[in-house]
Formats: sequence, C-alpha cells, structure tokens
Amino acid sequence: MTALDALTLDIHAGEVCCLLGANGAGKTTTINLFLNFVAPTSGEALVCGIDVTKDPIGSKRHIAYIPETVMLYKNLTGLENLEYFASLATNETFRREQLVEFLADAGLRPDQVDQRVGGYSKGMRQKVGIAIASAKRADVLLLDEPTSGLDPKASNEFSGLIARLRERGAAILMATHDLFRAKESGTRVGIMKHGRLVADMQTADIGHADLERLYLQHMKD
Amino acid sequence: MSSQAVAGSATLMRVARKEMTEMFRDGRFRWASAMVLCLITIATLTGVRSYKALAAEQQAAQTAMRGFWIDQGAKNPHSAAHYGLWVFKPKMPLSFVDYGVDNYTGVTTWLEAHKQNEFTRRPAMDQAAVARFGEWTAAAVLQMLLPLLIIMLAFPAFAAERESGTLKQLAAMGVPMTQLLKGKALGTAGALSVVVIPATVLGVLALFLSAGFSRGADDIIRFVSMVAVYLAYFVVMLAITLAVSARSRSSRAALLVLLAFWSVNSLIAPRAVTDLARRVYPTTSSFEFQKAVAEDLTSGIDGHNPADERRKVVEAKALKEYGVLSVDALPVNFDAIAMQESEEYGNQVFDKHFNALYNQYRAQNGLTQLGGLVAPLLAVRSLSMGLAGTDVEQHRDFATKAEGYRRGLIKFSNDYFRDNTQTGAWDWKASPDVWARYPAFAYDAPTVKAAIAPQRRALATLGVWFVLAMVAFVSAPVFRVD
Repeated sequence: MTALDALTLDIHAGEVCCLLGANGAGKTTTINLFLNFVAPTSGEALVCGIDVTKDPIGSKRHIAYIPETVMLYKNLTGLENLEYFASLATNETFRREQLVEFLADAGLRPDQVDQRVGGYSKGMRQKVGIAIASAKRADVLLLDEPTSGLDPKASNEFSGLIARLRERGAAILMATHDLFRAKESGTRVGIMKHGRLVADMQTADIGHADLERLYLQHMKD
Repeated sequence: MSSQAVAGSATLMRVARKEMTEMFRDGRFRWASAMVLCLITIATLTGVRSYKALAAEQQAAQTAMRGFWIDQGAKNPHSAAHYGLWVFKPKMPLSFVDYGVDNYTGVTTWLEAHKQNEFTRRPAMDQAAVARFGEWTAAAVLQMLLPLLIIMLAFPAFAAERESGTLKQLAAMGVPMTQLLKGKALGTAGALSVVVIPATVLGVLALFLSAGFSRGADDIIRFVSMVAVYLAYFVVMLAITLAVSARSRSSRAALLVLLAFWSVNSLIAPRAVTDLARRVYPTTSSFEFQKAVAEDLTSGIDGHNPADERRKVVEAKALKEYGVLSVDALPVNFDAIAMQESEEYGNQVFDKHFNALYNQYRAQNGLTQLGGLVAPLLAVRSLSMGLAGTDVEQHRDFATKAEGYRRGLIKFSNDYFRDNTQTGAWDWKASPDVWARYPAFAYDAPTVKAAIAPQRRALATLGVWFVLAMVAFVSAPVFRVD
C-alpha cells in the first residue's frame, strides 16, 4: 500500500500550510516523514536544508512537534514539564522567569504554571506544547490536528499563537480536519487524497464556501 | 570531554532527576518503599535480638558446660567420657541478615563416648509445613520484596511513555534515546537508594550492635561482599525491568511479563529446584541413617569384620607390643586400649556415613546454585548464606571441628585410663584435677575466602545474569516510539 505518492511540498519561513484530507489520506504520514519516524522509499525530506534520514538528530533541532494532544507527565507541573522538554530539546538550562514567560506567552495564567498537569485541560496542554516550541526557538512546526477536540475559544486562542509564531518566521505544517481553522490560520491549504496532494492554493485567494466546495468535490470520487 | 559528551551527560542527569521527581511524588512508591524499609528494619532488629539472646545464652551454656566438665570430681575416665558435654555453634555476626540453614541443621550437639550425635535444637522441627516458605529475614525481604519494588517502580519507564505518546515527543525533539535509557536507569536507582542506603546503614549499625565486628576484618569483608552481591542482584533486576519495559507496547504487558518473571524467580524456581536437587541427590532419613551406622559398628564397615573379631586382633597386637602372654600381665589397662581401638573404628564408620551425607548436601547445593541460571535469586540466596556464615558448608565445618574435639576428648580419657591403671580397673577413679587438662572447645569460623570457595557456581550464574541483563538493557529498542 502506498501511503504517499509523488508528494512535493515546499513550505517557506512565514508560511502556514494546512493539509486537509480524509483519514488515511497521508497527512500524518507526511508529518512522520519529516520527523524521520517513517523513511521515504524514494525522494527526500529536508528540514532547513538538512536531510532528515541522514542527520535525524540535527534536523530535529529545528523542529517542534505538536500532536493532537500534547502529552505531558501528569505528576509534574506545567512549568516542570516545559523545563524538562525544553532543556532536553536544547541542552540549555532555563531560569524560572524565562519558563514562566514562555508559558505566559502561550496563554497560561501564572497561577496555572505550578499546578500538576494531571488537572490540565486539553487546551492548557496545547499551550504548554506551544511554550515548548517557543523555548526551543523552532524554525519548523509540525502540527498534527492540534485543535481537534478544543472548544472554539481555545481553538481560536491556539490560532492566535500559531499566527504569532508565523510572524516570527517559523515555517508551519499543520494537518487538520477543520476547514474553518485552515482558512483562518493557514496561508496555504493543501488537499490530500490517497497519498497525493490534489490541490494546493493560497488561502487569501479563496473564500470559505469555495474551499468547502472544492474539498467536497475532491472527496466525492 | 567533548561538548557532545557534556550535552549527553546533562541529558542523562535531567532525565534521572525528572524520573526521581515523578517517583517521589507517586504515593504508591512512597508507601511501597516505606513498607519495604519497615520490613527490613523489623527483620534486622529481630535478627539482632535473636543473635544477642542466642549468643549470650550459648556463651553462658558453653561456660557452664566447661565448668561441669572440669568439676566432675574424682571419676573413672570412661565415666567422664560418657558424661560428655554439649557444644554450641556460635552465631555468625551476619546471621542477623540471613539465618540460612541454622534453623534446619540445629546449633548444638552432644559430645560423648562412642558416638557422633546429630545436631539438635532445630526450630524447623517445631514448625508447620508453611514455615518452608522461609522466615521473614532481612535476606528474604532483599531477595524477594526488593525486586518486586524495582519492578513496580520501573515497569512503566518506557512502556507508559510509549503508550501516552511522550516517548514520541521526546523522539521528535531529537533526544538521544540511549541517554534516555541511561537516565531512567540512574533515576530509578536514585529513587531506590532511599531504601537501599538506609538498609545498608542499618546493616552496619546492626553489626555494631550485635557482634561489634568481633571477628575483625573478616566480618567487614563479609559485609561488604554481601552488599556487593545484593547490589549486583538489584542492578540485574533493574536492567531486566527497563529492558522489558523498552520492548513492551503497553505498560500492562510489561507488568505481566515482569510479574511472571518475579514469581518464577522468587516462588516457583526455588521450590522446584530444591525438590529436584532432593530427588537427584537423595539423603536418607535420620532413622535409616542411624540404623546403617549401627549396622556398620557391629558387623564392620564391609560386613566381614565384626566387633568381637576386631577385639581379638587388638589383643594380639597389644600382647606382642608389650611382650607378654596374657592380658592380665599387661602393664597398662587393656580395656582402655580396646575402647580406644573401637572408638577409632567407630570414627571411620561415622566419617563414612557423615561424609556421604554432607557430600550429598554439597551435591544438592551445587545443583541449586546452577539453578541460579533459571532464577538469579537462587544464586543470591546461596551467596548470601555463604557470606552470612549460615550455609551447610560452614555448618559442616563446625560439625567436623566439634567431632574432632570429641575424638580428642575421648582419646584423652582412654589414654589416661590406659596409662594409669591395669585391665579391669573399672572402680578406679582419676583425681579431680585431671579434667581441666583437656582444653576447652574453641571454634574458629572459616574465613570469607573459605566460605566463598564452595560458591563458585553461584558467583558464575550471578555473573551470567549480570552480563545477560546488561546486554538486554543496552540493546533495548527504545527508539521504537509506538
């Protein structure tokens, strides 16, 4: 079975590319390809010019990955989780004020940072994920359905954070089912089907209704 | 160090610190480690108390025995030999950790003329069959419960992170997985040190309280070796637990595999191997043993040399030696010569039977030590008993030395009887000061070197486990994120 077929995708700094498509269309596989969790049978995946199969550790230095639910250690506080992941990712030591600032930037209230993550909502976990990405100063963000299951307000907040990271020059690839969110936060939208990229357009050029019509058209046959 | 190595060790320490933080915050860990530490403390204090009580009791009894022997007054030497005395196997300082076979072999024996007695005061004789599960000694806690604590602590190390997806996140960050593996090992070891370090300190204190290092350097070497053996055992358990966790898809699967291993190691294999050893190298019952000894004493070891014929040979030899024609003409007491001769013949019989018995025990233990290949606990148990000085081999050493003392004592009385009287002087009495001339019994326990010599197989099997566990640990495929 072919998961991805002749996929060519190039995302520049300051771009948010949203991948749409049914389950099994190859969105997650595309992300896993950049993370070197799956190896391409042909072709190559480059992150900031680094071939991920040849230098898996080096390429990951540029990447922040945020899955559907950011998984954290429930017996540690939000701040401790951030410290653990950020210091492991960067090999740097962070001061408490820095960590609190990252979390505050990601929208976590100061009284929440010292609570154990066991009591966090999904939205709060995603914020910690964003804080980790900021602490890491990642050039590339790989987001796998990061807003699914978030309430509209949390989802909206998340889009705001993505926009901020984009403005700072990150290249962002986001797999999503949410057409509205794709149009709102994406600068580009790609539609995938059976491992192929069947459509690729700038969101500025297309309205909500047109995007939906185009998507459904592709899903039909 | 290269900058990469520095970064690596920093990662390792971060992982270790986070593991410890998580464990210390886990109520289950706090409870379990407090309980294990409590059990070790209770077992150790009980051990120390029983050591002190028994040591004092034995010291008093031994002194009293010597007193009875010296003060038995004017008496026929042969009566004195029959009067006999009790000797006690001194408790070894480290026996508070591991009672070993003491409860099964007994700690005291009656030394008297004509026979090598078996040991008595075996608490195991008064216990129900359930006692075969063993006493709650510190050794039992260290051998069975501590591995359980290690498993409980470390089984989710990778499996749970794989399940929850944090492992994938770490992998996505480019965290070197070998550092993660080592960091987790270090962190778990750090958490365990809250049990292991106090337990070791307790051991040192207990040693001070009980024996006060009365045997000097040898006790220190025994104690340090014992700590090393148990640490090696814990490292094996930790490495296996992490290796299994790293290979398991879910923490539930890891726990099941590890609990199965734990039950084989601590419950099934020890019973099965012990039963197997007993079947392969059977020993006779006490009743049959005594019957066989009695048989050999009357009709001769080979069955062609009965007692009355042996006496004739001795008589001829004595007459020839002193150049006389009849027993009555001998300048010495022939009864004493005959008794000593029969005593020496009896000694051959006892040697034959007791050596056969102890060699059978040795063969059983050799097989049990090999069983360490199935269950490392068996190797550790053997080494622990050996170092505590409570194994069968060191019991045999005492039994042999006590028997040597008995033989010397009987020979002393027979020779005295022979040289100072003539045949038939059964009414003659030796002066009361004679008895003190035979020295008191003093037992020198084997050195640690001698104690470890019969433990080669146990050491080897523990070594095999150590290497296997390390290989399993180092080759753990932690990079598999789901």
